[in-house]
Amino acid sequence: MTRTALSVKNLRVAFGKRKTQIVRGVSFDIAAGTTMVLLGESGSGKSVTAKAIMRLHDSTTSVSGDIHLGDLDLLAQKSGELGKIRGSKLAMIPQDPAASLDPLSRIGSQLAETIRRHGLAKKRADVTAISVAQLEAVGITDPTRVLRAFPHQLSGGMQQRILIALAVMSKPGLLIADEPTTALDVTVQAQVLALFKELVSTLDAGLLLVTHDVGVAREIADTVGVMYAGRMVEYGPADEVLNNPSHPYTKALLNSLPEVGMPRGSLVPIAGQPPAATSIPSGCAFAPRCAFATEVCTTDVPPTVTVGPGHTSACVLALETIEVAA
Amino acid sequence: MVKFLAQRLLLVIPTLLGVAVIVFVIIRLIPGDPIASLVGPNSTAEARDELRERLGLNESIPVQFGIWLWNLVQGDAGNSIARQEPAFDLVLRAFSQTAVLSGAAAIIALVGGLALASMRVLSNNVFLQRASSFVSTFAMSAPQYSVALIFIVLFSVGLGWFPSGGTGSAMGGGFGTTLYYLVLPATAAALVPLGIIARMASSALRDVVTAGWVEQLHARGIPNWKVRLHILHNTVPSVLAISGLQVGYLLGGVVFIEIIFSWPGLGQAVYQAITQRDLPVIQAGILVAALAFVLVNLVVDVLQGLVDPRLRRA
Amino acid sequence: MTIKESAMTAPPLIAPRLSSKKFTGRRRRLSTSAKVAGGFLLLMVLVALIAPVLSPYDPIVGDATQRLLPLLSDGHVLGTDGQGRDVLSRLIWGARPSLLAGIIPVIIGGGVGTVLGLVAGLGSARVNSVVMRILDVFYAFPAVMLAIAISAALGPGISNAILALSLVNIPPVARVAETEVLRIKDAAFMETARLSGASWFSIAFRQALPAAGPGILVFCTGLIGLSIVYAAGLGFLGLGLTPPTAEWGLMVNELRQYTFSAPIVALVPAVLILIVSIACNALGDGLRDRMDVRMEARA
Repeated sequence: MTRTALSVKNLRVAFGKRKTQIVRGVSFDIAAGTTMVLLGESGSGKSVTAKAIMRLHDSTTSVSGDIHLGDLDLLAQKSGELGKIRGSKLAMIPQDPAASLDPLSRIGSQLAETIRRHGLAKKRADVTAISVAQLEAVGITDPTRVLRAFPHQLSGGMQQRILIALAVMSKPGLLIADEPTTALDVTVQAQVLALFKELVSTLDAGLLLVTHDVGVAREIADTVGVMYAGRMVEYGPADEVLNNPSHPYTKALLNSLPEVGMPRGSLVPIAGQPPAATSIPSGCAFAPRCAFATEVCTTDVPPTVTVGPGHTSACVLALETIEVAA
Repeated sequence: MVKFLAQRLLLVIPTLLGVAVIVFVIIRLIPGDPIASLVGPNSTAEARDELRERLGLNESIPVQFGIWLWNLVQGDAGNSIARQEPAFDLVLRAFSQTAVLSGAAAIIALVGGLALASMRVLSNNVFLQRASSFVSTFAMSAPQYSVALIFIVLFSVGLGWFPSGGTGSAMGGGFGTTLYYLVLPATAAALVPLGIIARMASSALRDVVTAGWVEQLHARGIPNWKVRLHILHNTVPSVLAISGLQVGYLLGGVVFIEIIFSWPGLGQAVYQAITQRDLPVIQAGILVAALAFVLVNLVVDVLQGLVDPRLRRA
Repeated sequence: MTIKESAMTAPPLIAPRLSSKKFTGRRRRLSTSAKVAGGFLLLMVLVALIAPVLSPYDPIVGDATQRLLPLLSDGHVLGTDGQGRDVLSRLIWGARPSLLAGIIPVIIGGGVGTVLGLVAGLGSARVNSVVMRILDVFYAFPAVMLAIAISAALGPGISNAILALSLVNIPPVARVAETEVLRIKDAAFMETARLSGASWFSIAFRQALPAAGPGILVFCTGLIGLSIVYAAGLGFLGLGLTPPTAEWGLMVNELRQYTFSAPIVALVPAVLILIVSIACNALGDGLRDRMDVRMEARA
């Protein structure tokens, strides 16, 4: 039985004095050696979810619920212990590689800093050896030159690989990637995704990848969670969610985003805008834009319904389809 | 790196040349016979003719400029009419006084400005943040002459804590006395730069603190104190740039402080020369001030290149 | 690249124009301190305009028997100076030259500087290089010294002082203008204008200027306070108006000799200039904050 890398139950995140709810009760599990993609538009709360798991927020943000990294209760950790966990058991790969490396430090010294921090080596020679090995492992062919370089002297793809190297060097049990390919060229995207797949299997780690790009989800996801206005509206095996979507939002989303091989003129944008976090309508947040909305949708919060093995959808219509099928 | 240095040095030369041209033009604009201005009203006709020849005033303008420039480079800007000593000597002596005053003011401005910037960006106390913002706006708006007079009235006339003028050399000089006499003028001179440094450093600091890589350092578990060192390192280039500009401004712009506090510096010397129509001193003074400014900027440029590798790309 | 991504990174399709709505749709207000500052400055301008009517006494002729009266004296709220002239009246009358010498140089210097910035920003690398290097030479002089030198060369009088200050204002504005123009130079709307065969003048003044304008304008308003201070500084040094005219800087110098005998009165003009300067900066800040929000919203 594969172990669970990450288990999240009823995660809620609220910002500021007025406690604006950004994430409103999200639950999912990630098994070791699998990749889960959190799919959604901007403002859906997916990035906030990822950051909350890393506990990378300031004191004005409140996080509640249950987050377990293996056996470790993440929300119970104090900052000192968090410092040890972050970067070693749990690591993050950010969105904009160019802005994610200290511009005034050479790559070698940034790698060395993390290596020493997590006790992987002490002596200069060992540190260099590990740095070189890590860079090679992420596909960098001339590690010695790269170690002496400054971030601005390297391409975006190279920078992202370095960030990946920094994340995986302590062999973490969970990797979190927040839109890791958005700032990259298409060809580089493919390489980076391939790298991710390789790492997930070598490390037997879980990967939580946040994105708005369905293509990325198709490429790499084992599980997909679709988020809208802070809720998980659909969740299940990638194959099911992407090819046999149950929730109206997922269906609309898949129809509105361009993908290779789609017939011409088949894009249908979703009318309207996602609600701002401060003005979420009662009932189902998607109801105002939903083609199938009913009375009930505007008054009651939809229940999470199981529509298949490991596949859930938060929609009242899902209930009916089950009844019909039954 | 050497290439960067050489490049910067080379760029300075045309600027200095341009400075010389402008000073030349300004001098020539001053109404009246240049010869009379250069040797004074009590000179003989022979002396004047001789000077006219020597300076090539019978030649064309470009030749005049060439002769003038050549003399300058050799350290000859003529003799001060009022004091009958080489203008450059007088000016350099005055400049050293200004350097002392400006140096002290620069230190006060840097320390104060950085303190205010840290308060504004790093403290979590809203009151401190507002206060530092208010103080920096107040400081950078304060005209030198207003502040100087207010200080004198408050601290000299009113409280009697500090002297109202002079360098203390009459009291025997010495480090301690000079420092005592420096307090009011240096602080008055420091206010505007302090305000400007505080403001710019705040914005630079805020940019650094909110940068993505800072969050990434936290995400890798790097301890807080180390993250702060990184932040500090990254604020140095901007702070350097601003401070350099302020030092340059101080070297040439403290004339009001010098006049009000009777500090025998460069600004005061040039001003006196203007009232006395002492042309050699005027030109020597402006040239030294501009030269100092250019050199300070050069040093700052080089230091910045040392600290921030991104600037080394030509 | 998906369609969404390319939409996110493309430069603006139309020239950004002044609008006052933050992207959430609410108008951003000017902060209270900025409003107070603005009100005060408006008051100053008003005072300058109606000086002949407002001033209680003649600013030039004084009563020697009433010299150096302290603050809040009977009939002289701000005291009298060394020649028995009412300080308040002199301040009121002095507002005209002092404010004018602050505003006009910014208008002239700002205008010329903006044009230079447009030339440098829109021109080829060569043109840019030449213009900026020439400006660098002027930048090598500390502003105060340059103003003094030019003013001295041109001779006393307020128009010469204004000219000197205008010249001193040109390099900073030109630099800011160049930076702003470079920022929008490669935007889509500029490309369109160039491709449509528009003349340089048309591109410069109908496309680039409105786009770069707000940034330049904001900078120039910041210069006004500085200009007023410099103008008074020139007056202080006797390089602007001559006595017995009332001008703030001149008054500061005249009263300086009474620092020990009548300290409070001696400070009055100096304090006024200080307050005006603070007000200008506070207003400039407020305007800049409001502008930045619009600029951010568009990004």
